[in-house]
Amino acid sequence: MIEIKGIHKWFDGQHVLQGVDLTIRDGETLVIIGRSGCGKSVLLKHIMAILEPDEGDILIDGKSIFSMTAEEQDKCRLQLGMLFQGAALFDSLTVRENVGFSLIEHTKTAEGVIDQKVREKLSLVGLAGIEDLMPASLSGGMKKRVGLARAICNEPKSILYDEPTTGLDPINADVINDLILRMQKQLKVLSIVVTHDMTSAYKVADRIAMLYRGKIIATGTPDEIRNSKDPVVQQFVTGSAHGPITDLLKTETELL
Amino acid sequence: MSRWIGFKKTVSVRSWLYDFGAGCLNIFQGAGGIALLFQEACVLLTSRRIRWKATLDQMNKIGVMSLPLVFLTAFFTGMVLALQSAYQLRLFSAEQFTSDLISVSLCRELGPVLTSMVVAGRVGASIAAELGTMKVTEQIDALKALATNPVQYLVVPRFIAGLCMLFVLTIYADVIGMFGGYLIAVFKLGMSSHMYIKRGIDALMIKDVVTGLIKAFFFGGIISIVGCYFGFTARGGAEGVGRATTLAVVVSLIMVIASDALFSAIFYFF
Repeated sequence: MIEIKGIHKWFDGQHVLQGVDLTIRDGETLVIIGRSGCGKSVLLKHIMAILEPDEGDILIDGKSIFSMTAEEQDKCRLQLGMLFQGAALFDSLTVRENVGFSLIEHTKTAEGVIDQKVREKLSLVGLAGIEDLMPASLSGGMKKRVGLARAICNEPKSILYDEPTTGLDPINADVINDLILRMQKQLKVLSIVVTHDMTSAYKVADRIAMLYRGKIIATGTPDEIRNSKDPVVQQFVTGSAHGPITDLLKTETELL
Repeated sequence: MSRWIGFKKTVSVRSWLYDFGAGCLNIFQGAGGIALLFQEACVLLTSRRIRWKATLDQMNKIGVMSLPLVFLTAFFTGMVLALQSAYQLRLFSAEQFTSDLISVSLCRELGPVLTSMVVAGRVGASIAAELGTMKVTEQIDALKALATNPVQYLVVPRFIAGLCMLFVLTIYADVIGMFGGYLIAVFKLGMSSHMYIKRGIDALMIKDVVTGLIKAFFFGGIISIVGCYFGFTARGGAEGVGRATTLAVVVSLIMVIASDALFSAIFYFF
């Protein structure tokens, strides 16, 4: 279980996260939606302890990740997998070394076993036989899927997805959605998906939370969010150019 | 009216003070960051397993691949040194001291400093650009997410390679520089080969060679740590990486020269 408690974060005087509270239960898929640049990725990086909050805490299975020692934090991170927005594959390593990174670095698994695991995970994301390629020779969609294979290679208990379908063609996007669902069904992992792609959100979510101006303004099942009476949520999920979100932006720009 | 406001802005003492303060803060933040990274690298160097494969790879990149550049720099410096010193020494009919001057000045000063400068330009920039690109494409975050300390994985191998390779490159530069001087002294100034070699070696004291090599050792550390620091702090895409690269080269050059002055003073008095 992951509990996010009152996270505040400032960047260069900007109050990006203004007290985020969320609880994600084991085996659940929570989708966090929100406009670009509203702090969704920042929130994910806090869960990974890549960024430290200015206030607040995050508990993973009841233990605060920020009061752990560096070794404990690393142990905790091995239980979590993260797919980065741009896949963040290591340029200097082959696909095999990328996918098997945590096994090569942190376990004494024999090379043959690692090879087999890498092959298995790559075929799971539909990319068998590309082990020896370098990331530079892959397309955007392939990179993302290799990134996903890397995130699941260590069989983590929770997987965090940072905009998994952004920049993919609709078919590949749906392949990723299916993968997220399959991970959840087969491995019973806890998933947190950050996205602004509503099709993907409705498809994979057990619960959707909307992040707006640094706070969670609504949580609920996909149906509850779709039928929400909140005008801000409505504008976002229908993708309308007119509504409270854009009106507020206009007023702010005029004030400047 | 707007011109008046513009004028007030340009002469505003407050904004000058503000810029001055921001500049000072920047400098101290950079110095502190470099010192902290140095400390962390030293701690990890002694407490954790060293990644020898990556270290050897970096030694190749930093050391072996710098050989041609260091060769040319040292070779021409040795030749110029021979010509310039002979030109001055001729006034006192003391041309035979050319070889003493070349060997001592190369080993004490020019060997380590010139090598460090060309390596700072070549290697410092490439370290900062590589790590900066990794930073802006979230690869450093990905390392952390995969439970790997980026300092241990990326900085420590470069740090060790920098320390060792500058040391070795300096020895190489000293020898090549003396060889450059030899060619000029023997074929142009008419010194005998035996005299050049004998005088050159006799003039050298162990202290000259050792102080030069101690300097080189530290310069190697400075270049790699400064390059890594600016790579790690790169922000904002391609432009940020460019800025980080420039800063890495400029700061490491300044630090090399400043610490050279400090070391020279220390070695002069002790």
